Amino acid sequence: MSKVVEISPTTRHEGHSKLVLKVNDEGIIERGDWLSITPVRGVEKLAIGKTYEQVPKIASRVCGICPIAHTLAATEAMEASMGVEIPDDAYLLRIILQCANRLHSHALHDILALPDMYLPGTDSKINPFSPEEPVRSVAKRIQTLRMIGQTIGEIAGGEAVHPSNPRVGGMYKNITPRARTKIYDLAKQALPLAREQMEFMIAVFENYAKRDWAEMCGREVAIPKDLGFHQQGYMATDPCYGSSSLDEHPTWDPARWLEVRPWDWYMGEEEITLEDPAYPVGGTTKAGGKAWPQMQACTGVPLYDGQPVEVGPRARLAMYRNYDRKGAIGLNIAREMEYMDSVYKMIEAADALNTSGSVVADVIPQGDGTIGWAANEAPRGADVHLAKVRNGKVEWFSMLVPTTWNFPTCSRALTGAPWELAEVIVRAYDPCVSCATHMIVLDEDNRLVAQKLLE
Amino acid sequence: MEYLGQYKAVYKAKAGCEDILSKAQDGGIVTAMFAYALETGIIDGAIVAGPGEEAYKPEPMIATTVDELLAARGTKYSISPNMALIKEATRSYGLDKIGIVGTPCQIQAVRKAQLYPIGMRDVPDKIALALGIFCMENFPYQGLYQMVEDHCATKIDNVTKMDIGKGKFSVYTERGVNAQIPLKVTHKYEQPGCHVCLDYVANLADISTGSVGTPDGWSTVFVRSAAGEAAFNKAVDAGWIIAESMDGVKPGLELVTKLATEKITKNQKYIEHRAHAEHEALKPLRNPYI
Repeated sequence: MSKVVEISPTTRHEGHSKLVLKVNDEGIIERGDWLSITPVRGVEKLAIGKTYEQVPKIASRVCGICPIAHTLAATEAMEASMGVEIPDDAYLLRIILQCANRLHSHALHDILALPDMYLPGTDSKINPFSPEEPVRSVAKRIQTLRMIGQTIGEIAGGEAVHPSNPRVGGMYKNITPRARTKIYDLAKQALPLAREQMEFMIAVFENYAKRDWAEMCGREVAIPKDLGFHQQGYMATDPCYGSSSLDEHPTWDPARWLEVRPWDWYMGEEEITLEDPAYPVGGTTKAGGKAWPQMQACTGVPLYDGQPVEVGPRARLAMYRNYDRKGAIGLNIAREMEYMDSVYKMIEAADALNTSGSVVADVIPQGDGTIGWAANEAPRGADVHLAKVRNGKVEWFSMLVPTTWNFPTCSRALTGAPWELAEVIVRAYDPCVSCATHMIVLDEDNRLVAQKLLE
Repeated sequence: MEYLGQYKAVYKAKAGCEDILSKAQDGGIVTAMFAYALETGIIDGAIVAGPGEEAYKPEPMIATTVDELLAARGTKYSISPNMALIKEATRSYGLDKIGIVGTPCQIQAVRKAQLYPIGMRDVPDKIALALGIFCMENFPYQGLYQMVEDHCATKIDNVTKMDIGKGKFSVYTERGVNAQIPLKVTHKYEQPGCHVCLDYVANLADISTGSVGTPDGWSTVFVRSAAGEAAFNKAVDAGWIIAESMDGVKPGLELVTKLATEKITKNQKYIEHRAHAEHEALKPLRNPYI
């Protein structure tokens, strides 16, 4: 006889979400739904009629951890719709900004993921706020990496949170030779730290993978070997930056994309029949309550080839580096493996940058309503924005954000895990729930119209 | 002290270098201090009022070389929004130790940004040296243009120096023509926002400097903060600045105090006037000081 347990809210990730879990007598998840309960802010709807300059700045405010992704994807979606080719030096500055943000975001996620993990070879969990060694120096290293990421983002992008430098057509400003040297020095400082951090985190995750149990709710919970496995496949557009409909060979295909409602994908109304007041901290939802994922989920469900897919670090590594490790730990390790690339890439881009080059396109056409899209490989995966611009105004705008793609995929990946470890699986996706929550567009028959727009 | 702000020391001073003095407004203190600070790494760039597209229309710029500093010498009696670059200096310019020069209101803005950084991330700890200049009032460019072109009957492009002193607005050209008009004539061109200003000698700067109080070619210098004192003393020791005691200097601090008192009293009165309903507006007007 299966029971339903609900963890609400979930913690140690961005935004507001919950887990509705149908479990068997052993507490193993038979079917799990992880859903956003962040209020819909409706950025896509309110973008309509605004200028192409405003909308990327508004879209940036979707998320403060990965504002770079939304700024760049939205700006480039406008550029794709309007047919604007940006100068090389603007592109290089955007790459530096992109990598700086990935460095900061992955380091931040380490802080969120570590408290689930154990110091290798011991039975003590890691508290990143502890003043004790070895954790103290790990925390300091993480903060140094974040400081470097944010400072470089600030120089190249104008601002670390909500970058001010990107504009439709390129960038507002090139940087000075002094600023380029500063980026270079900071990146050089980050290299050994990123390597140490990556190696430390991989050791910690490998140790978790070898463990038989983890302590949860005051008891030992068995860790399955297939924790977080799923069969949904991957989607990525680039190992580092992204792609857009202006590319000669775009790496994302809107024809393979379809969006459905949570109604088609999530569980119906359920009564909560299992509660555990010992779940840290504050227990699970009380028994007798109702959960209705179909109605409560605040995201659309985007499909690629008719299925939810995984996006993010593992998707990038799987598609471009033949990475094949599955499950929650495989995903965490893939994220750590991206550290070095993000630092090396910004050093390469800083090397190639001409600080006296022009950074804004000579001509910026005002758009004729053509649909354009741009995918940005955000820290959490492919962030695809689509836009139609006519006479300088946004006619239609849509955001397919990484965590939106991951919501249904991760839900499927919960099956087979003890419910107490469901959040460990969720966290492996480094969810960004504010990012994921956006408007869904229905027509008269309550079917989604997004795909029709592309035809 | 009340009208001149807090200070550790006051000097009669001028730059020790002829190149700086040749086109300096007075003693070349701002240029010399920034040049010394740049050369010794106290700052790695300074926000100054550089030359703009039109004659005597200042344009804020970030100087990272002494040559760029020299280009910004001389007073332009018009608005130069130097604070507009304060954040950008820490961004695409990549500066870590910023110098900034400004009128009293601009130094107030610097200090406010340091204590209450609203949308000013990274600015508070990157201000290394804030130099203030004495300021009685300022003019919008159109007003200045009219004062020079109409009242002084001088083409503004030919002007080599402008000066307000001894109750007159004076204009000098290369050919030596010197037109002067009484300050009374210029009052209607003043920027209205200047009429609520209660600071004459840049009370909040690390070092403030101006012409009043000392003979031509010299500046009156207030050394105010610990950072200002350290930088100023080193610049004096290194010969970049010649500083002498204010004792016995005519007209001296007596005149500075008199003008400061006049400015503050007059403007204080105007602020109070705004607060009263008999003001031409129906409601009392906003007072930024409360």
